[in-house]
Amino acid sequence: MGNSLLSVENVTKRFGGIQAVGGVSLELGHQEIIGIIGPNGAGKTSFFNLLSGMFIPDTGKVTFDGKDITGTDPATRARMGVGRTFQVVRPFKGMSVAENVMVPLLVNDPGVSKAHRKAMELLGDLGIAQLADTPTEALTLAQRKRVEVARALATEPKLLLLDEVLAGLNSREVIDVLPFVTTVRDRGVSILMIEHIVSAVMEVSDRMMVLDHGKVLAVGDPQTVIKDPKVIEAYLGSDEEE
Amino acid sequence: MKKLSLPWIIIPTTVALLLPLFLRDQYFLHISVLILIYTGVTVAWNIMSFGGVLSLGHAAFFGIGAYTVSILYVDYGVNPWLGILAAIIFAAVGSLVLAIPLLRLRGPFFTLATLAYVEVLRLLAIWAVPVTNGSVGITTPPTQGLAYISFESRQPYYYIALAFTLAAIAISIWIYRSKLGYHLRAVATDEDAVRALGVRTNRVKLGSLLISAGMTGAFGAFAALYFFVIEPDTQFSATLYSIQPALNGIIGGMGTIAGPIVGAIIMTPLGEWLRVTFSGASQGVNFMIYGAVLIIIVRLMPGGLVEGFRAIARKTRRGGKGRGGKRSADAKTTKEGE
Amino acid sequence: MDYLLQTMVAGLMLGGVYALVAVGLNLIFGVVKIINFAHGELVMAGMYLTWWLWSAWNMNPYVSLVIVTPVMFLAGIAIQKFILSPMQNSSPTMKIFVTLGLSVFLQNLALWMFGGQFRAVNFPWAEQNLSLLGINVTYGRLTAFIVALALVLALFYLMKRTLVGKVLNALVEDRETAGLIGIPVKKYYLAAMGIGISLAGIAGTLIIPFQAAYPLVGAHFTLLAFVVVVLGGLGNMAGSLLGGLILGIVETLAGTYVDPALQQVAVFVVFIIVLIVRPQGIFGGSARNAEVGLK
Repeated sequence: MGNSLLSVENVTKRFGGIQAVGGVSLELGHQEIIGIIGPNGAGKTSFFNLLSGMFIPDTGKVTFDGKDITGTDPATRARMGVGRTFQVVRPFKGMSVAENVMVPLLVNDPGVSKAHRKAMELLGDLGIAQLADTPTEALTLAQRKRVEVARALATEPKLLLLDEVLAGLNSREVIDVLPFVTTVRDRGVSILMIEHIVSAVMEVSDRMMVLDHGKVLAVGDPQTVIKDPKVIEAYLGSDEEE
Repeated sequence: MKKLSLPWIIIPTTVALLLPLFLRDQYFLHISVLILIYTGVTVAWNIMSFGGVLSLGHAAFFGIGAYTVSILYVDYGVNPWLGILAAIIFAAVGSLVLAIPLLRLRGPFFTLATLAYVEVLRLLAIWAVPVTNGSVGITTPPTQGLAYISFESRQPYYYIALAFTLAAIAISIWIYRSKLGYHLRAVATDEDAVRALGVRTNRVKLGSLLISAGMTGAFGAFAALYFFVIEPDTQFSATLYSIQPALNGIIGGMGTIAGPIVGAIIMTPLGEWLRVTFSGASQGVNFMIYGAVLIIIVRLMPGGLVEGFRAIARKTRRGGKGRGGKRSADAKTTKEGE
Repeated sequence: MDYLLQTMVAGLMLGGVYALVAVGLNLIFGVVKIINFAHGELVMAGMYLTWWLWSAWNMNPYVSLVIVTPVMFLAGIAIQKFILSPMQNSSPTMKIFVTLGLSVFLQNLALWMFGGQFRAVNFPWAEQNLSLLGINVTYGRLTAFIVALALVLALFYLMKRTLVGKVLNALVEDRETAGLIGIPVKKYYLAAMGIGISLAGIAGTLIIPFQAAYPLVGAHFTLLAFVVVVLGGLGNMAGSLLGGLILGIVETLAGTYVDPALQQVAVFVVFIIVLIVRPQGIFGGSARNAEVGLK
């Protein structure tokens, strides 16, 4: 336990009569990538919201980098090093790509021109420097997803929560974006990623976790996890899945 | 990171500075002072629009400013210049009542709360006779001189108003390009996302409220001295100082730097003309036209004049290659994707 | 003590009318997803229409409901069709501006047509007292309360038991799905606006025998209805009923024991306290609150 970056102990969250997250525990190591899959409504995004501070769990405990962050707000967690992307990407309107990335950079240092320089550096590192001056309204979906990741990275996170960054992309774009994830990990970041495209997650994940009805169905080596009969049953039993 | 284009700052400023030398007509100068006051209030109002927040509470801050300077001057003999300083502080403190709705309510609900606050202050100003002199209002002393911001001619008023307005514009530009401005503009799109990036959005929103209210208080105070007489129904008039600045802002372009300035310069003389034309038996018609304009304008050009000019400029520059059309098509897809 | 009870009953009667105004606002908000800034001005329209029918045609104010109700229903439909419907995909800010523009327009239309003075319907019957268990209530207030309550309950019944109501409920819950399963959404928007606005107009008729009309009276009702909706919970019709009754009592108490000039201030204070103590509304907000505006 002492070695893990993030440690989640039995967190639960209820909305009215619905148990969105029902006792999930997880340990995430440094520079580890864990893919999270599960049918629609399995509580994946709710789980992320508990980790990023959008929701406070009803019970359970979240420890990050050795500190208890269970009840802290999203901004504090982001400052501690929990970055996240959103399922529906919404770049800041009326601002260029570089300006979008400057928003988190300005949190710790109010120097605007310095933030701009850092933003350009980061965009260069991620290979999207050519987009810097593009207004976000003119970006394609794949580009917007990359900007979303760049923006989250600008908070200099130790942990990055990626919520369906591949959703809505065609297979060529998936191939384009996927290496991005490993690039990010190589910068020293641990990653939890929610994805629907199982084959894509398997490719980059060290371990996989399957959620269903707010509970952990299986967790472990990707190859083993997808052969787990419980997992297969959950997927076959669910009509909404492709 | 666009550079400020100097000609766009120097030319209008010079024109504004030289204007009274060429046009000595007092009525014209009066309209010009009104334009400057409205420009200032609209620019102040617009600072909250950077964050996508629509306030209709600025008549409250305007009125607090007016009452602060007048009460301090008349009852306590405080010099009006100090009074204006106090007006800024009181208006900012007075805006804190709206901090609770600002942080707890979104969109239309906050806007309604701000409008209600104006009405509440108007009623309080009528009720608290010992302090405000009730419906009768307060008249400031006629002592003239720069020290008392009271003059025979309108020219000195013009220059003081111009100084205030230029300061307001400078503050607005500075905020827009600073850390606060970046965070506000981001909040306008998606507050949750901004929070997840480590920004304490409550502070950002509160900051914009306090600055915007304080600036409005200064203009309320100046206007009180300019008009000599203040009374609740005028100084706390939602139509005059909440809806009018918002209308200026929306016509010029909400959340942009130039929008509120353009809007106030166009709308103020128009409003004055309507008011003079429809007085007496047809009272109310001028504001009926305002209401109708509001309904029509948001349908015809929701982006305001500045956005319209930009679109035209883009088209002419690109020689009609249809690039502008493509961009708006993209913007549409973005909207639907949300 | 008797006097206190008396005041509270008078407030309760008034509260019934507020509830009627608020359920209309809540219905429109729930279905059309627009906060109607002109809602109070439509109450005002009902007041002036009733006053005009009374002063020009000597019509009994309660009889005038047969004219006020359909006229306001049609007004609601016209507003939806010509003003709101074209704005359906605009940003929330633009929607605010459109109803705000309507409110400014109606306020000043009233000023132009009827002048700034108070216009009251002097209907002696409404002023007479009925004594029940030692508490005096004027017929005007009692009638307003009974009719308003009956209409609110009728709306509950409509929403729960009839097909139209069930569809409206579905739209309150989830507009997209309703559109997807082939419900002609636009027709129901018209229905919701027609019903909501006619309730506002009826409230105007019920109140004018004991409260005079003037061009700025609408702002008061908009604020009240809005506080009631926040108090009772968005989309929560029963909450609106209770909220309306409570605010009627609070306002009347403040008017009697503090100062008549400060009634509205009291309403605002209640509103701020509610926001601090229970932002999701007193009678249980739903998760919906978060989506549509309240956190």
